[in-house]
Amino acid sequence: MLGSIQRIESPMRRFSEGEEVDYVIVGVGAGGGVLLQRLARAGFRVIGFDAGPFWDTERDWVSDEKGAHNLYWNDMRITAGEHPLAFGANNSGKGVGGGTVHWASFTPRLHPSDFSIHSTDGVGVDWPIPYSDLKPYYELMELELPVSGPSYYPWGDPHGYPYGPHPMGGVGDALIRGCTNLGIGVSAGGPVAILSGSRANRPHCIYRGFCIQGCKVGAKASTLITHVPDAIENGAEIRPNCMVSRIHVGATRRVTGVSYFDSDGRACFQKAKAVIVAGYSIETPRLLLNSACPGFENGLANSSDCVGRYLMAQAGNVVLGRFEELVRMYKAPPAHALTEEFYETDAKRGFARGFAIQTVGPLPMSFAKQMMVAKGAWGWGLRSVMMDYNHWAAFGFLGEILPNADNRVQLAEEKDRLGIPIAKITFNLYDNDKKLIEFGKNKTMEVMWAAGAQEVVQEARYAHLVGAARMGDNPETSVVDQFGRTHDIANLFLCDGSIMPTQGSANPGLTIMALAARAADYLIREGAAVFKSEERNTQKPPIRRDLSPPDTWGHGMPRI
Amino acid sequence: MANDRLRGKPDVVLTPEVLSARLDRAAANTDLDIREGRFQRWLALIAGLSSALSGIEVAYEHYKGSYSRRVMYTPVILSGALVAGGMSGFFSRRAARTILPAVSVLTLGDCAVGFYFHVRGIHRKPGGWRLPIVNMVMGPPVFAPLLFGVSAYLGLLASFLRRGEAAGSGILPLPAHPDHWARIVTGEHEPISWAQDVREGRFQKQMAIATAVSAFFSGFEAWYSHYKNNFRYKAQWTPVIIAPMLMAAGIAAVKSPRIARTWLPAISAVAIVDGAVGFGYHARGVLRRPGGLKKPFYNVIYGPPLFAPLLFAACGFLGVLASLLRREKRR
Amino acid sequence: MNSQTERVDTRPVNTRTGKPIGPISQPGYYPGFSTLAQQKFWDAKTREVVLDRVINVPEIRFFSQQEARLLEAICDRILPQDDRDESHKIPIVPQIDRRLYENSHDGYRYEDMPPDREAFQLGLRAVEEIAQHEYRLGFLEIGPREQEEILHSLHHGKPSAGHEIWKQLPIHRFWMLLVSDCADAYYSHPWAWDEIGFGGPAYPRAYMRLERGEAEPWESEEKRYQWKAPDSSVSGVFEPVAGQAEHLGSPGQGGAH
Repeated sequence: MLGSIQRIESPMRRFSEGEEVDYVIVGVGAGGGVLLQRLARAGFRVIGFDAGPFWDTERDWVSDEKGAHNLYWNDMRITAGEHPLAFGANNSGKGVGGGTVHWASFTPRLHPSDFSIHSTDGVGVDWPIPYSDLKPYYELMELELPVSGPSYYPWGDPHGYPYGPHPMGGVGDALIRGCTNLGIGVSAGGPVAILSGSRANRPHCIYRGFCIQGCKVGAKASTLITHVPDAIENGAEIRPNCMVSRIHVGATRRVTGVSYFDSDGRACFQKAKAVIVAGYSIETPRLLLNSACPGFENGLANSSDCVGRYLMAQAGNVVLGRFEELVRMYKAPPAHALTEEFYETDAKRGFARGFAIQTVGPLPMSFAKQMMVAKGAWGWGLRSVMMDYNHWAAFGFLGEILPNADNRVQLAEEKDRLGIPIAKITFNLYDNDKKLIEFGKNKTMEVMWAAGAQEVVQEARYAHLVGAARMGDNPETSVVDQFGRTHDIANLFLCDGSIMPTQGSANPGLTIMALAARAADYLIREGAAVFKSEERNTQKPPIRRDLSPPDTWGHGMPRI
Repeated sequence: MANDRLRGKPDVVLTPEVLSARLDRAAANTDLDIREGRFQRWLALIAGLSSALSGIEVAYEHYKGSYSRRVMYTPVILSGALVAGGMSGFFSRRAARTILPAVSVLTLGDCAVGFYFHVRGIHRKPGGWRLPIVNMVMGPPVFAPLLFGVSAYLGLLASFLRRGEAAGSGILPLPAHPDHWARIVTGEHEPISWAQDVREGRFQKQMAIATAVSAFFSGFEAWYSHYKNNFRYKAQWTPVIIAPMLMAAGIAAVKSPRIARTWLPAISAVAIVDGAVGFGYHARGVLRRPGGLKKPFYNVIYGPPLFAPLLFAACGFLGVLASLLRREKRR
Repeated sequence: MNSQTERVDTRPVNTRTGKPIGPISQPGYYPGFSTLAQQKFWDAKTREVVLDRVINVPEIRFFSQQEARLLEAICDRILPQDDRDESHKIPIVPQIDRRLYENSHDGYRYEDMPPDREAFQLGLRAVEEIAQHEYRLGFLEIGPREQEEILHSLHHGKPSAGHEIWKQLPIHRFWMLLVSDCADAYYSHPWAWDEIGFGGPAYPRAYMRLERGEAEPWESEEKRYQWKAPDSSVSGVFEPVAGQAEHLGSPGQGGAH
């Protein structure tokens, strides 16, 4: 059962052992979920592997902060560097639906400027595609999830959303008050992939505030409830609790299948005509690096030495403000208002690129830790500030950190319980990043003051990951082409956040899905050629609106 | 119509007696036509106006629900049609007999469908009817479609009224002379036919029932919306208190002409004033929201509903109207 | 407890009346508010998980008896509960013990940190060493004021002893780990939710009063009172954690927000 009324009726197809399938997709998250559904609908024989469980949301999930621990990717990783990243609950999911299970589901698009920051600002790298190539897929994904938000969203490429905006909670009200008092534009009630009106077998939001702990209601979109049911209906198989450990390469320098450990820890092999890795920014490079073999000594698709490099995490400082009046920030979704007023480069600020300010809604455990860091609270101090929990509101600053080759994922000596080397991540901040964080943090605090807070503190942290196997036209400086096909191996594809060359200041979920839908259209247009030919067609595929899940059409409002 | 009757059939010999009797009857009919005509015009107009209010409200309420079903567009379209029907009914007798009832019946049907979907919507929320209060407050407003139905019902009622094209029928059916007010209050009748008494009496009953019913729907909505808001202001209790009184007066007015002339208009007047004051408070509430006028659209749709107090006032207006109608003598 | 601790009142003080607070069943500004009383409005799975947390306090399986007692004394100062009566103290050490016994973690470890199990064992040893160094007594034998002084020195990153251990265990990271674990155990408990006025689980019934911090019909209004930490305490004031400024990626960022 998915959500409070959604059920998967059709029995799932099972491919027999030893049977060769068309595609194996490693990781059924934002990218993998969309791709799996598209390929299944187009009639391909496809298996999606996920290291975590296939959730029964009613039975497995709880409306409890601590109880949600198993939604996150909790396998050990080593974090290093001067400014090390945090993982786990912070940015990666485990289980069918992946990170979309516990995202707050802010779904802004990237701005057109994000696709060419090297040309315009002289930093980072340009994307191999312009915004206009991705725009129709953004529009399609906004319908498929669907995304709720204002009818007119002014930033980037202005657009409207198919579902109406959400009501505000106390934190959103604070952001709106702060922004309008400073004369800053602010978007209320979206864009978030949370239903503001029911759709088919998904009820609308009940404003309970446990988005990040998994939406039991079924109102918040995750590929688990938006795309996976349709994939299964169309003959895709999902193998949950199966950890893929290695991709195999045959004599012709083409991949032949994957080794994996099934739910009982048994080592198995699955033969496939093509493999798509969608494990996100840490697991994707880890798998490619661990699949090193004769002919690919540095790992698969790594002739450029870019696998694992150019890892990015958005700066995600949390700014907390205490108000005289009550806020009760545990009510309403953490994601419900934002401003992208500072998104673009402003030469006056002395650094390239920008940031967004968004609402967040930490629950007591997270808030206690934020107070520990932001105020140095412990002992009676912690007890007393926690008694004021209901007086605090929190904003998240979301700043673009530029790609750097030294921010990277490598394999550590240490191995996990299955014997696979664990990932070691090194992360440092550079000059532009530090300036941007300093400015953005102060601006966010200014908004909090303007909202009427009597005390404002902040905690430094990071938000979403992207990069570590970037796309580009040049095989010497990138891992995959614009459709996610690795430059080195014609039937190996990547389809997740790891292929993004830069990150913008937008939450990456929607962009990952849009890229997946575009990659799917490409694979479907190419058909069997992918399985046999070394030819690379670089023509844009036609957009396939007929491959959307059935409830996509006939709901919501016409787009302005 | 009256002229047709005056001409009579050619094969009847018009003796002075016959003529005189006919003239009497014709005069009575003309008077009836004029009164009902006026009334019809104004009732059509009221149906149109209240449907305009409902239409605006449903348009943005359904926007908040993202028009997640295509059927959610129908009340918006039909309210527009009903406004058009009401307006055309005001100006044209023909429209009042054709377009208005057609649109009204269609709207009534749509309201029933809407009521079904709203009940179902609450049922499908997590917890369904086991959590009736939270789900009614946060789910689709259960009686809103029925409240809209009252406008349609008025439209239908209007189309059943008779109407002449004689001069003066465009005037509001209010007594022109202050003396007439006194007559209404005391129950003294103008010298008109008993047939008109009966018809108007029936309409008065209908109107009184409509008042009671819409007071119930409107009051119920006020109750749970204000409950959602924790009754932060004392004034939020007023519609909740006035609505049952108006309901009681409306129901009692069906049986008692005296109440129809006394309590009903009095309480109705209070409801109108309350609705006007409520509108002021709601407007202030919108302005006081975070962002205020800088986020006009968002604050109107998510602030206190601007038109809800006006719909409540409209119930009061119905009550006043009902009390102005005359009533057949008890036989 | 020795004679020294009995002399010191470790209860917080109501600043208006000047009287110590407690021991009472429920501190905080929401007297009478009970999330557990709302359990019939929770879904079955959540009810099961939360009730299990309240009813089944895990046994100590990872720590030795001695380590457990030491950690308990530390946790009593990091999250003091002297205002709570015996039957309403929230168990912290058993939760930490279970986590370490099950080797459950947040999915990452700082390169300069040993694994959590080792970190705790090393940290406990270091704390004991500091107590011996400062007072020539065990941590359990010194008074609450002295205990807090030791923890305070960790907070400031300037412990007076245990330097060999701190070479393997960055002080501020250990301090954050310790405080985080205590906070997790305390603030995941429904009694703590009642104390701070958090609504608790919210499915299938959720909220209808989203703005202005208004209480649901089943929630309580805030009834504030002024209070301060006991005179014996140094933890009532807020001071930045030492070593934190130069480390942007501090352990505090582990939680989801």
